[in-house]
Amino acid sequence: MVKDRNYRHSIQIDRDKCIGCSHCMRVCSTQAIRIVEGFASISPERCVDCGECYRVCPQRAIYAKDDGLASVHDNACRIALVPSVFIGQFPSEYSATQVLKAVKAVGFDEVFEVEQAVDFMKEAYRAMEQKDHLRPLISSYCPAVVRLIQVQYPSLTHHIMLLKAPHDIAALYLRLAKEKEGLDSGKIFIYYVTPCAAKIVAARAPVGESVSPIDGTINMTEMYNRASRILWGEKNPGLHKTTANMSPDSVNWSLSGTEKHYFTGRSLAIDGMENVIEFLEKLESGHIADIDFLEMRACDQGCAGGILCPGNRFLTVERLEQRQKKLQRLKERDHDRVDNPLMAYSETLHSLSGVEPVYPRDGLLLDDDMEKALVKLQRIKKLLTYFPGFDCGACGAPSCRSLAEDIVKGRASISHCVFVQRVMEKNYKLSPDQAFIVIEKIWGKDRLNKYNDSNANDA
Amino acid sequence: MRMSYNIEGGDFSAAGRASSEVKRTLKQFNISPLVLRRIAVALYEAEMNVVAHARNGAMQVDIQPHYISVVIEDEGPGIEDIARAMEEGFSTATDEVRQMGFGAGMGLPNIKKNSDRMMLTSTPGVGTRLELTVNF
Ligand SMILES: Nc1ncnc2c1ncn2[C@@H]1O[C@H](COP(=O)(O)OP(=O)(O)OP(=O)(O)O)[C@@H](O)[C@H]1O
Ligand code: SF4
Ligand SMILES: [Mg+2]
Repeated sequence: MVKDRNYRHSIQIDRDKCIGCSHCMRVCSTQAIRIVEGFASISPERCVDCGECYRVCPQRAIYAKDDGLASVHDNACRIALVPSVFIGQFPSEYSATQVLKAVKAVGFDEVFEVEQAVDFMKEAYRAMEQKDHLRPLISSYCPAVVRLIQVQYPSLTHHIMLLKAPHDIAALYLRLAKEKEGLDSGKIFIYYVTPCAAKIVAARAPVGESVSPIDGTINMTEMYNRASRILWGEKNPGLHKTTANMSPDSVNWSLSGTEKHYFTGRSLAIDGMENVIEFLEKLESGHIADIDFLEMRACDQGCAGGILCPGNRFLTVERLEQRQKKLQRLKERDHDRVDNPLMAYSETLHSLSGVEPVYPRDGLLLDDDMEKALVKLQRIKKLLTYFPGFDCGACGAPSCRSLAEDIVKGRASISHCVFVQRVMEKNYKLSPDQAFIVIEKIWGKDRLNKYNDSNANDA
Repeated sequence: MRMSYNIEGGDFSAAGRASSEVKRTLKQFNISPLVLRRIAVALYEAEMNVVAHARNGAMQVDIQPHYISVVIEDEGPGIEDIARAMEEGFSTATDEVRQMGFGAGMGLPNIKKNSDRMMLTSTPGVGTRLELTVNF
């Protein structure tokens, strides 16, 4: 059985800030987080980089590891790939041209809007539809969804569309175009401004691709901070486009509900982790039939809700809708013409746009060996009869079941359960000092020292 | 490894819980995703038949190193003509059940297609028993 064992992920915990408060552990959809020695700790084989933990961390201790602006090479042709949602971070009085110019001024030789690749995606979808394929096809656009399927819905991996994402297509195009201009390919560096952690990994260690055409990723908030300073400093109204360089609705591709229109038949657009999970669960049981295409985004409102987008997702959506209208007017003024230079390369891009099949991950596996796994499952069942079933989290695991799983995998012990601990103490199986050590092992040293008996009078 | 679940007839809101649980458990084993899918579909259809047609029932699951065997038993109207019930498209589902999106008469044929062995027995007026096995 082929498995994907590249467990690289971008979401990281900053131990200088983490206080092990367990907010992140409770929201993780794949139960990838535990509290160990006072810090949150992520299991790489389960993390899908959806960023739900990032959203709830009260300490701002969770971050997405990108390459950063500091990684941008001097003395090379530096190109920034900017997604439309970045432009949607700015009030509508700033034109896309102005925003992109500001990005360029941050330190690039050229700037390119990712969504220019969407005209190509639409063509690729039409070609894909002609082929005989499994239904429903699941969009490969959102890398968090792709990895969620790999980890949690192994029987659905072959429904994932084997097509590169727009940022990859845009990067491939830029390389082709620059090489044609006579530039040495080793001198071209492409940086993607990312709205999320998932795209960081997708751009650098893509599923189903051996190398990525992207050289680095830059956190959208970092770029926003730099570009906005330049933009706010500009007094004169900036330039506007005079022709539509992509079809108008392309700017909304990363949001929820545009992509699905490019697949005929029954297509659904689903956004938000919980909604995606609920739907995949049903799909896996054959509960849902006769659907042709599923567009799924881990974030509410699609990439406008990406964890690295500094602005409000609803404002971003509205601004992108305005931009679509502007592009529509330009297109109409130009006799319904769209002038997208990327499409001149469409034939070559088609030959490069495929990816290798996507395989499941081992994130949920108890043991490779069936008999051993059965023994472990037997133990889990037994353990669950000892635990209260409250999923209180005091053991440093998100649920009683997770603790039981950790125990049979040798990663925790039964005394981690505070309820079991009380009984063990009562029966002299565990001394109060030992119980103390167990708690410290989970929640960190000195965590229990806040209260001592001299405080008792205050209570 | 044995597990058992109750299934409430007529309760469409909780429908699919038992088969979901089994599916979740199976994902912890090193079995082919395609086999997992077949089991998920067969169990879901079997569970739904109890929900849609019977009063109450139970699902008993036995997972062994090389196969899974499941018995779904219910108290309900039973099936008069099993051969007919097995035909694609045959259904006695009420309008209410059809409104919920069931009643295409594809459940039993799907169970047969997705399992390696299936045995359906029934006593009209008493209940139905379905036994199925899928090899890993
Ligand atoms: N557990 C059961 N108790 C009583 N009758 C049943 C039971 N299971 C199936 N039947 C009968 O067999 C018929 C065919 O079942 P089958 O599962 O193939 O189709 P369905 O349940 O009617 O529709 P679908 O499964 O496509 O939603 C049912 O309509 C019903 O008359
Ligand atoms: S919806 Fe967009 S921003 Fe959110 S995880 Fe998916 S690709 Fe990233
Ligand atoms: Mg049925």
